[in-house]
Amino acid sequence: MLSAVVKKEIRGHVLSFRFVVTFALLLVIVPVTVLILTNDYVRKQDDYSRRQAEIENYLGRYAHFNRLWNVVNPSQPPIPFYAVVRGLSAEVNMEMFDNDPLPVMFPLIDLTFIVTILLSLTGLIYSYDAVSGEKEDGTLKLMLANDISRSKIIIGKILGGVTTLLIPFAVAMVVGLFIILLNPRVGWKGADWGALGLILLAAVIYISLFVCMGILISSRHQSSSSSIFTSLVVWVLLVLVIPNISSYIASFVRPTPSPIKVSREIFRFTQDERDVLGRKLEKEKRAEVLKAYPVLNSVAGMSEAEIQAAIKNDPAFGRAFAILDREIEAAWQEANAIQGAKAKVLQDDLERKQRAQIGLSTVLSMLSPLADFTYLATDLSNTGIRSRNHFEMLREAWDRLFEEYSEKRMEVLKKNNPAMDVWNTAVDVSDMPRFKYREELLAVRLEGVLPDFAVLIVSGLAVFSAAYVSFIRYDPR
Amino acid sequence: MGAIVKKEIIANLLSYKFFVVIGLTTLLLAISLFVMSRDFKDRLADFQLNQPKTGEAVAVIPPNPLSIFAKGLDEAMTRSFEINKTGIYVQTGRQSGNVIFSFFPSPDFVYIVKIVLSLVALLFGFDQISREREQGTLKLMLANPLSRASVLAGKWLGNYLSLVIPFLLVTLLGIAVLGMDPAIRLPVEGIGRLALLIATSCIYIALFLSLGLFISAFTRRSATSLVVLLFIWSLLVFILPNLGTLFARQCVELPSVRALREKEQQILTREILLSYSDKTSVDAHIRTAVDEYGRLEEDYHHKFDDLVRLSKAVNRISPAASFVFAATEIAGTGIGEESSLKKDILRYKSRIQEDIRSGTAIHAAFAYRYRSVGRVLAEGGLFDLAWLFLFTIGFIAAGYAAILRYDVR
Repeated sequence: MLSAVVKKEIRGHVLSFRFVVTFALLLVIVPVTVLILTNDYVRKQDDYSRRQAEIENYLGRYAHFNRLWNVVNPSQPPIPFYAVVRGLSAEVNMEMFDNDPLPVMFPLIDLTFIVTILLSLTGLIYSYDAVSGEKEDGTLKLMLANDISRSKIIIGKILGGVTTLLIPFAVAMVVGLFIILLNPRVGWKGADWGALGLILLAAVIYISLFVCMGILISSRHQSSSSSIFTSLVVWVLLVLVIPNISSYIASFVRPTPSPIKVSREIFRFTQDERDVLGRKLEKEKRAEVLKAYPVLNSVAGMSEAEIQAAIKNDPAFGRAFAILDREIEAAWQEANAIQGAKAKVLQDDLERKQRAQIGLSTVLSMLSPLADFTYLATDLSNTGIRSRNHFEMLREAWDRLFEEYSEKRMEVLKKNNPAMDVWNTAVDVSDMPRFKYREELLAVRLEGVLPDFAVLIVSGLAVFSAAYVSFIRYDPR
Repeated sequence: MGAIVKKEIIANLLSYKFFVVIGLTTLLLAISLFVMSRDFKDRLADFQLNQPKTGEAVAVIPPNPLSIFAKGLDEAMTRSFEINKTGIYVQTGRQSGNVIFSFFPSPDFVYIVKIVLSLVALLFGFDQISREREQGTLKLMLANPLSRASVLAGKWLGNYLSLVIPFLLVTLLGIAVLGMDPAIRLPVEGIGRLALLIATSCIYIALFLSLGLFISAFTRRSATSLVVLLFIWSLLVFILPNLGTLFARQCVELPSVRALREKEQQILTREILLSYSDKTSVDAHIRTAVDEYGRLEEDYHHKFDDLVRLSKAVNRISPAASFVFAATEIAGTGIGEESSLKKDILRYKSRIQEDIRSGTAIHAAFAYRYRSVGRVLAEGGLFDLAWLFLFTIGFIAAGYAAILRYDVR
């Protein structure tokens, strides 16, 4: 009996005008989006390999340790998933003068966008009149007069609605994936297909949630014309408003200090104030050493050459001078440590507050299934917050490797030629460790998005139960 | 015709649709103005905290009060640009610390109008003709001595008024509340800009109402016209502008910002190394590097301007993009304003670098004057307004043609 309802729903939808329009729209939008994104990915790849070649070219000619890090500072390579999901990879880069403002005005469109906005709207369009419309036509009474329970009807309606919505989406996705397969430059690996499968699974849950939402609203209204308004209002709030205001609300509730101010303070602590403190400590230490070693009393008035001569001629002076040197060095180290600790307090405070704010933004925005799905899809596809942190981690690891390498290399150079200015001489660094980007394992990513999945499923179930209860109590007259 | 206008307004006032839709608009506008004004005040406080001391070569401008209504690129424009002898060091504001901001667009007035009010206008228009036919009242109406044109005009006007009047009331109320806040001071010119911005929104709303009426007069059933309209709406508001930007990017050969940045580092590094190996002064080498990099940057800016021009042209297929361009430029937070600011900063940079070379330690402060409304209108703003207007007229004309041929049975 359930299958009869599902069949009836699917047939009713497939013959309807809205099905034709959805089909046509998705069949155009998905392939066009994939095509444009794929081309864009290929261009990004070209740009990346060109940049790497430029860096290698530079390394062959002008590498010197003073500024080597500035040039080889790694950047994230484009990943094949860009052909479908863009996430945070859009170049909204505020740290550079020549940032690209266009994506701020018009966010890029990708699979996440198609699912979260288009398909959720379509889900509501498919279901807003599922109950109230049948009531208006009078067919709801007739249906209920048959030997069939209400719970079967509503489950049938939901299944039928979701299935018919998935047909055009699946067809459009197949066409889109063909474009990816046919492009030899986009090499998807097994993990990518796995991630795509998981994202599509989440998309099915997301779409079902909105179909249930439509049915819930429909069974709360007596006429389909009023249920469409309520549906659209709910949709606007859930999809277009809650995610957008959540970060603003979080920034009021959990404010962070201004990063510009913090960075200036840190600069002041570690440069100007450090110099003052360093000089003060140096003076104290110098006075102490001079008191202990009167032989050094004349050192203040001596020139560099005279000092060198005195060290050579007078071993007592030499020993005392070495102690003085060490003490002065220690004084500056102390100044650095004191000021560095002050700076670290500020930096840690900023980072802690930023983390708290991001946490609150995330929680608030997850009231909206759109945000939930977006985080899930971008994290699974390696284009979201996770991947950003992952890249940072890889980069820090590389930084350490690079530091080790440069220290070792400079020691060798120094040994070979003690007079050499190791910082500012061209060196051969072809044996330098190169940065290698490795995507996070799919299993690890999946583990990370489990909470998102849970929230999506729980909210889906909640909406389903509400729809169920409302339909059970619906007055079909 | 007056009777029809009155009938429409009264019918609207009593309907569930009006109640829900106006409630939503009011709620959203109130939330938006509150949130964005808080954001503005926070950024203003940051600006006052971070103002450069006299003599420092830092270009930073205060946040624009109109960014409460059209945030646009204000976040990017109010970054702090510190000039030194090798280039510009950029520091970003508070939002850069929270990555969630970059997932979703700012919920400002322009966003609400662009997305929610266009939808609302469609909901007001979608069933005007087709529903009256379904209910049989269209026949009765046309049996009176009444031209079809005046039915359409009456319906248009009645619905437009019942939509725009509450919208204007809420907006003006919101502005009045904001005006009482001493922290938000709007200059007289700003009020003019705001008025122009609201007028643009009214044209934009008229456009979508006309589209709704047209589709309604084109279809037999109101359910059909609703589905058609929702798909057209998502196409115009979301898909076309966003795809257009990506499409334009594929037509212009533009190096990535990152490539430019890396090139800068390479040039600087090369010159510093050369200055050590040939024992000449570092300053001369840095000058060479700055000049060479300047040429690259100029080339990039030319190409980027091409990209923006092409993007604008492509995006204007969608009136929603035209509206965003017009609204942000009028508010002084648009792409044109940003590039004008950047040009000023580049000029300031060369002046400061001149200073540094001649050994002056006290630098002149940076001052930016927003382009005047006249210039904004001349540089594309007027075109966008005319374009929106043209769309509206076109939809009204199409609606007129459709209603003349409408089968009222």
